[in-house]
Amino acid sequence: MATACRYLRKASMKSGGYATKADGLGAEIDITGYTPDRIRNFSIIAHIDHGKSTLADRLLETTGVITKSGKNKQVLDKLKVERERGITVKAQSASMFCEHDGRKYLVNLIDTPGHVDFSYEVSRSLAACQGTILLVDAAQGIQAQTVANFYLAFGEGLAVIPMLNKVDLPTAEPDRAALQIESAFEIDAANIVHLSAKTGLGIGRVLPSVIERIPAPSGSIDAPFKALLFDTWYDKYVGVVCLMAIKDGAVRRGDRVVSMHSGTRYEVMEVGIMHPEQRPATQLQVGQVGYVVCNMKSVAEAHVGDTFHKDKFPVVPLPGFAPAKSMVFAGVFPLDAGEFDKLNESIQKLTLNDSSVAVHKETSAALGQGWRLGFLGTLHMDVFRQRLEEEYDASVLVTAPTVPYRVQYKDGTSKYIQTPADFPTAIEIQDKVDAVMEPFVLATLIFPEQYLGAMLELCTMHRGDIHTHTYLDESRVMLKCRMPTAEMVTDFYDQLKSRSQGFASFDYEDNGYNESDLVKMEVLLNGEAVDALAAVMHRDNVATVGRTMAKRLKDVIRRQLFDIIIQTAANGKVVARETVKQLRKNVTAKCYGGDISRKMKLLNKQKEGKKRMKKIGRVELPQEAFLSVMTGSKE
Amino acid sequence: MAPARTPLSLYVHWPYCSFLCRFCAFSKARVPAGGVDHALITRALLAELRTSLAPHSRDKELRSIYFGGGTPSLAQPAHVAQIIEQASRLVPLAANAEITLESNPTSAETDKMAAFKAAGITRYSIGIQTLDDGVLQRMGRLHSGAEALAAANRAASLFPGHVSLDMMFGFESQTVDQWQRELETVLAHANGHLSLYQLTVEPGTPLFRDIRAQRVKRNPDDTLALMYETAVALCRSRGLAHYEVSNYAASPEAQSIHNLGYWQGRQWIGIGPSAHSRFIDPASGTCLRTVRIPDIQRWARSCLEHGHGTAKSETVDDAEARQEAVVFGLRMLDGLSNACFMRTGCVSSGALSLAEYLRVDQVQRYLRDGYLRSSGRLDHLAPTERGLQVIDSILLDILP
Repeated sequence: MATACRYLRKASMKSGGYATKADGLGAEIDITGYTPDRIRNFSIIAHIDHGKSTLADRLLETTGVITKSGKNKQVLDKLKVERERGITVKAQSASMFCEHDGRKYLVNLIDTPGHVDFSYEVSRSLAACQGTILLVDAAQGIQAQTVANFYLAFGEGLAVIPMLNKVDLPTAEPDRAALQIESAFEIDAANIVHLSAKTGLGIGRVLPSVIERIPAPSGSIDAPFKALLFDTWYDKYVGVVCLMAIKDGAVRRGDRVVSMHSGTRYEVMEVGIMHPEQRPATQLQVGQVGYVVCNMKSVAEAHVGDTFHKDKFPVVPLPGFAPAKSMVFAGVFPLDAGEFDKLNESIQKLTLNDSSVAVHKETSAALGQGWRLGFLGTLHMDVFRQRLEEEYDASVLVTAPTVPYRVQYKDGTSKYIQTPADFPTAIEIQDKVDAVMEPFVLATLIFPEQYLGAMLELCTMHRGDIHTHTYLDESRVMLKCRMPTAEMVTDFYDQLKSRSQGFASFDYEDNGYNESDLVKMEVLLNGEAVDALAAVMHRDNVATVGRTMAKRLKDVIRRQLFDIIIQTAANGKVVARETVKQLRKNVTAKCYGGDISRKMKLLNKQKEGKKRMKKIGRVELPQEAFLSVMTGSKE
Repeated sequence: MAPARTPLSLYVHWPYCSFLCRFCAFSKARVPAGGVDHALITRALLAELRTSLAPHSRDKELRSIYFGGGTPSLAQPAHVAQIIEQASRLVPLAANAEITLESNPTSAETDKMAAFKAAGITRYSIGIQTLDDGVLQRMGRLHSGAEALAAANRAASLFPGHVSLDMMFGFESQTVDQWQRELETVLAHANGHLSLYQLTVEPGTPLFRDIRAQRVKRNPDDTLALMYETAVALCRSRGLAHYEVSNYAASPEAQSIHNLGYWQGRQWIGIGPSAHSRFIDPASGTCLRTVRIPDIQRWARSCLEHGHGTAKSETVDDAEARQEAVVFGLRMLDGLSNACFMRTGCVSSGALSLAEYLRVDQVQRYLRDGYLRSSGRLDHLAPTERGLQVIDSILLDILP
């Protein structure tokens, strides 16, 4: 049971949980004795690498949910990318049984993603909890993501228990970290729990703290069934599996439940808890958190934040969540047009388990048929691309990310721009447009004070507006800066890391729209505009970016049998021009008997390479051309 | 009347060199300290020759024999005579068969020229490479430009109309003017045939390492192109017609029959270490490509024990054969005929015409733009001078 991988679970399903049904009902566990006062629902919030998943592993071990094999490395982080990058992308949950002061408790850990790109997932996880552990690395102190997640939890009115992890490290400075917690969050860190999730030090104090300091869930067993749907995933054998927090009443197999969002009725096939895999139970009831399988065929039917009730017993719906909002958009195209269908299938499968990706079909003159995908942030985009390539072996071309600009027309209507192709022309702007708005974020940067100068410069360079800078202790600074989202999605993060030698951490939240002087920059190859290379940017950036882009394209475009003129232009004015001169000679000098095999091998390799080129008119554009436009446009 | 015999070519690889050139990627070895064991090499070559040619004795005729290397002019003329004699006993020599020997223009080798003629050599090829003594020395060659011209003169008197001179262009620091002057001099000594190669930097050569380590600079591509164009124009003005990428001949008769065989997809047998062959196996009727063992000692041992030193043998399928026919056919300014393509040496499945095989829309474009020329509905397809110069790019577009 230690390999609690959601994807392995699919494969082991037939021999696992569901086989018990065929054997009769004997395997279903009875948790009806756990009334709300014996239940705690909590999550852990932490910055990347502060040890959240390791702490979760230790808790699951001490409560016997998983065996202590030494192989439990981040049991809840089930995706390869999650383990590789040390981030949690999808919220997971696990139930534990434990004893405290002679009483038995059912404690549910609801995992949260550690990166604010996934703050939408964080907030829905938090909605299923009553409290959270704020885990801080005692050596690193608080980081930008800790701050962002703390305020999310605080905003939900959850009980927050700060804890310090990695206190066994020689570089640990627990007192300093405690001080930072106090000054950043204005909470009392006097009796803070000291932990080493790695060695197990202090683990025994974690669950008692959770039980003592986090309130029991409210609700009544006698009220009509009411539950919050807070996560779903697709299982190829049973369809959609829903994770629900039961707010009132109870649910069991055979019940007929209704989605308040759609009004659709479902028959409950199975209920249970995550332990850490699906374990059927006789009944889920008020205060508990568990899974419900109810003949739901597609993830599209499962609206996270939806309220469920029993058929004929309507309830007042829970507040629910705003749908996930895309912060960046990018075009995704198959490298080889022949792979469209395969890629289509892969994207569909992947979005089954990640409903926060917005998917629209898109056709590019340059790249053919593809998609415009909306992501929660650039990390989300990166993770999605990586999962496509790793899990589905797809070769994709991702165009430069765009943020959702908003165009307000003089007639009072407005439109969101997801792709540069939709951006109004100069004439349209003059005649019909009232204002072009661009989205902003409020960024939080935390770093040692010696980088203050570099960080201020970085923010200013990215059109940032410094709000405050606060000293968290004598040497760590927290800087708040409002800047256009577009500035953040290019090279901001890389620059932040390099200018602070890796010591700065960064997070952000949405911060509305502002009017902005935006223009569309186009790339023309031999006079023909390449839609997939176009970009919307602030007028101040046009000259630099235009020159850099033309130069980079010149470096990656190979010589062909004719001159290739590269131009970057904005508002009909050419910003920069480069020429890739005509290829004068390309012929193998010597080709005799012994050279034939080599020559043919080379030829076939070149033919393969050519297939992967994108053609703009007669100009062959290598993949690097698209990458060159995406990365680091401000050198 | 007996049915016409199919032409076959024989390539003989003589693996030793007295010096190793820094640019050379061919299979070769420096003459060992104790000298070459001529008897051993010749015995091994004769054994391999017997085994390889015997199956072809009934229906083939030898159109050409080519002694290449290495430096075959280091071989003993008597041994060369033995090989020619044995070959012609196994497969009859065609009337006016071409028998070429490659040589270096050291005085010692030049002294053997008459003996090679007596041994049966009909065409003499001299690797001059450059007349610049500084470059010759830097490239590791042990002869001077003057010696090379003397060798060319001697060859012209012994093999009138059948001498080929090899030159290279594009050496580091060589200018277009220098190249033109060198070529003028060589043209004055030419007697029938020139091979003018752009210096190609092959991986694994000392020159390649020098360039990678930036000890030696490469000439820019456009300079190399200009040198090539200069050569084409200059040769034409002196009556040497350009007939293949790097080859020029005073008349159609002066073209290299042996090398044309490679470009026209004909059959050949290669003997000697690392030699390649491509022929239709009389036993199975399939087209085979074989390679001999590269290591000289192991190859020789294998020949003496098993009668051949074949290391690898593979089938050339129709798809490969068709592709090769186009790739090599379009290296020649005469191009390839559809008739020839349809019965290309190895193609055994249903015949396919050039028009059916190639991407006709692309071909049309290149015809229109003056890179290719054709007659009829692709009865014949050939590159123009301009097209030949970039034929590797064109092939990528027109091949299916």
